[in-house]
Amino acid sequence: MEKAAAVLELRGITKRFPGIVANNQVSLDIEPGEIHAIVGENGAGKSTLMKMVAGLYAPDEGQIVYRGRPVIFRGPRQAIAAGIGMVHQHFMLVANFTVTENVILGAEPARRGLLDPKTAANQIAELARGYGLKLDSKARVEDISVGEQQRVEILKVLYRGADLIILDEPTAVLVPQEAEDLFEHLRTLKKQGKTVVFISHKLDEVLRVSDRITVLRRGRVIGTVRAAEVTRQKLAEMMVGRPILFDLKRSDVTPGEAHLCVESVTARGGGRTILRDLTFRVRSGEIYGIAGVEGNGQTELAEAIMGLRPVGSGKILLRGEDITNLPTPKVRRRGLAFIPEDRHRRGLILPMTVWENTIIGSETSREFSRGPRLLFDSIYRFVNEAMARFDVRLTTIMAPAQTLSGGNQQKVILAREFRGDPKFILASQPTRGLDIGATEFVRQQLLNARDQGAAVLLISADLEEVLSVADRIGVIYNGHIQAEFSREEADPKTLGFYMTGVRSGESGAGKEGGSLTA
Amino acid sequence: MKAQRKAKPVVLQPRGSRRIALLEVSGPILSVLFAMLMASVALIMIGKNPFAVYGTMFAYSFGRLDSVAYILSKATPLIFSGIAVAVAFRVNLFNIGVEGQYAVGAFFASWVGASFHGLPPYIHLPLVILAGAFGGALWALVPIWLRVKRGVHEVISTIMLNHTSYLLLHYLMAGPLKDKTLVGLGTVGSASGVRMSPILDSARVPRLHGLFEAIGINIPAYVSLNWFLVVGIVLAFGMYLLIWKTPFGMQLRAVGHNPKAAEAAGLRSNAVLVRAFLISGAVAGLVGLSDLLGYFGYLDVDFPKGYGFTGIAVALVGKNGALGIILAALLFGFLSRGGMGIQVLERVPMETYFILQGLIILCIVIGSEMVRRFVRAQQKKEEAAADV
Repeated sequence: MEKAAAVLELRGITKRFPGIVANNQVSLDIEPGEIHAIVGENGAGKSTLMKMVAGLYAPDEGQIVYRGRPVIFRGPRQAIAAGIGMVHQHFMLVANFTVTENVILGAEPARRGLLDPKTAANQIAELARGYGLKLDSKARVEDISVGEQQRVEILKVLYRGADLIILDEPTAVLVPQEAEDLFEHLRTLKKQGKTVVFISHKLDEVLRVSDRITVLRRGRVIGTVRAAEVTRQKLAEMMVGRPILFDLKRSDVTPGEAHLCVESVTARGGGRTILRDLTFRVRSGEIYGIAGVEGNGQTELAEAIMGLRPVGSGKILLRGEDITNLPTPKVRRRGLAFIPEDRHRRGLILPMTVWENTIIGSETSREFSRGPRLLFDSIYRFVNEAMARFDVRLTTIMAPAQTLSGGNQQKVILAREFRGDPKFILASQPTRGLDIGATEFVRQQLLNARDQGAAVLLISADLEEVLSVADRIGVIYNGHIQAEFSREEADPKTLGFYMTGVRSGESGAGKEGGSLTA
Repeated sequence: MKAQRKAKPVVLQPRGSRRIALLEVSGPILSVLFAMLMASVALIMIGKNPFAVYGTMFAYSFGRLDSVAYILSKATPLIFSGIAVAVAFRVNLFNIGVEGQYAVGAFFASWVGASFHGLPPYIHLPLVILAGAFGGALWALVPIWLRVKRGVHEVISTIMLNHTSYLLLHYLMAGPLKDKTLVGLGTVGSASGVRMSPILDSARVPRLHGLFEAIGINIPAYVSLNWFLVVGIVLAFGMYLLIWKTPFGMQLRAVGHNPKAAEAAGLRSNAVLVRAFLISGAVAGLVGLSDLLGYFGYLDVDFPKGYGFTGIAVALVGKNGALGIILAALLFGFLSRGGMGIQVLERVPMETYFILQGLIILCIVIGSEMVRRFVRAQQKKEEAAADV
């Protein structure tokens, strides 16, 4: 009975890419005027499915029924003409154009072949006001925040007459208050009769903002549920296919002495100063989280500590010993474990086998070699045990690392880095791109290490992660720690202010930390 | 020991490994056949019957003992240069300088081989071999130093040093280190008169003829086959052990595949690069010794050139593996001998041989890449199936 009312129906949609079936017999209904969330883990097929609706891909099998009529879109123009618009995860805006210019680009209102900028600007301002989108129609896109850029994208599809708006992971690039604003906008759109589909893997926001939720797993629909009738646990279980424990175990540990001290560190990169007078301390038995919008010096900070980037001024001390500008092998020898943010480029040697990746860096240790001889028995025994301990699922440790899933790859790195129970761990974006199961696993491992007295420095762009794992939190903005909070006093909103530089410990000059695509 | 074996719960061999092995063996063979098929087009275009040409090529190469011996002797320097190139390839360095390195190696060997009268062969010969390795490593030191300290790409520097080595050696051969006993010959305009003093008998490498005679094979005396063939095969096995069974080999491959990750894991990338390239250069220094100590007995300006460049093809076709390099060197020896045969017996121009050689290199490189991708896709599927 609801079916008759559906604005969009997908019937048995299948889409294959070489080697994988991205969507397998997917059927679902979108009701008019609802906010419908599509959730699933990375690679579940959410984006692919919605890109077919928006005319970017054509389904191999199945039917898309829009407003009761089967449709075949040959390109996004046809989809938008029918009233379906998509806001992509990566914005497609021209940086040095104004908001108005970006919105009308490709669909310019013209009078006798001539563009009338003034009328256009007024028209766009009017449109934005109508939907409650706060925007300066004359501002250049490069000067506005990421949240505002997203509003421009939304305005673009509204301007083209979309009734069904699809947003792909819209909160991935936003800080908490920007996400709050976005949800407000979505509710306004709903009130005005628009239908919103949004793709996400963040369960909390999905439960808060959507009416109904469809869960995808490995290309198949697991089910569609009402947000009001489902719990976070239930949703996670649907996504992953097995019960998930959300409660990270953390015992009460009294932090010991300062283990790693970063004192007034300055570093340069790409011809400009990236780290400015950066100071913090990590004590043993605590996790110090560094929160911040990406691109504010996190990568460089990790490199500076590991000896992979020269430090201009300031000091880095490990247990009182000066390790500033020490070459990486020497830093390593002092017991620093490092989980790099880029698994593929820094973390693993992809063409090499799992066992080699698990022991690389320790291949000359007494355990694994004697003179010029690798001790394969000892190596295989260690690697097999480590694979079991870190729950890496594979057919053989002889497989090249590149054949594993992201989660398993990260666990291989953990197996390597946690060998010999390090006293200090630098984890940079350790759960990026991982599924829920692997994410929880990695976080728990960090907490376990902390419980056993290790000092852990967690650098993460995922605010939720920092809040749930860290004992103390420093907010990085423009290469500087703007403020520090204890676990108890940290709340997303306050952190968000510091993350965007709205509030700062001192006069931090600089622009928004957002990024723009062309 | 047995109890330890049981402590390996994870399967070590991938499933379907037999099928993959079959593919890796049949791949190169099919590639060679395909290359021959394509070369047939050229043969037909010049009015020759491909079957007759290929038939003669095989019959001439394998039907006569002197041809087989020739192929083995021709393959000997190529095994060395293939190894030299392959070691550098493993660490992602492109050693185009084997050419110059073996020239310098031969020079040092010639110098030491002509000096030290009265040494017993079991001291003199190893000393000469060491001198050759030293010369090659020395000539490799400059490009790798420039690469590590100054970021100069080794392709550029090694090519330039190839030319430098020729000019330097020609100067030394014709000048300070010229064989003064050859009075007159050098002045009549014959280049072959310009040479260094002959290698002493104590530094000459023995031939393999005696060994083969013992098992009833009489290699004609006019073909030179010496112990460097055995040394080359042993060295290839040594390279296999170095690359796959030692910590250094692991570091070398790690730096070769991903220097950033290797560095983050705590390896000293530059040190690994330098050591690997010096090993490559030392092996390169031995390339010319088979000819020098086993055949000519002296170094002159006409000393054979080109083994270094062919070595690149050998390493490529042999996929940088020990067995692959030996087989590829033999393949090139066969092509060279077969090329001689069809030139004389079928009146096919020499260019046919170059066409065939080029096509075989292309086909094998493309073919092995296809196999590699296929295997990787299979492994990916298997790991995805295990990850539930």
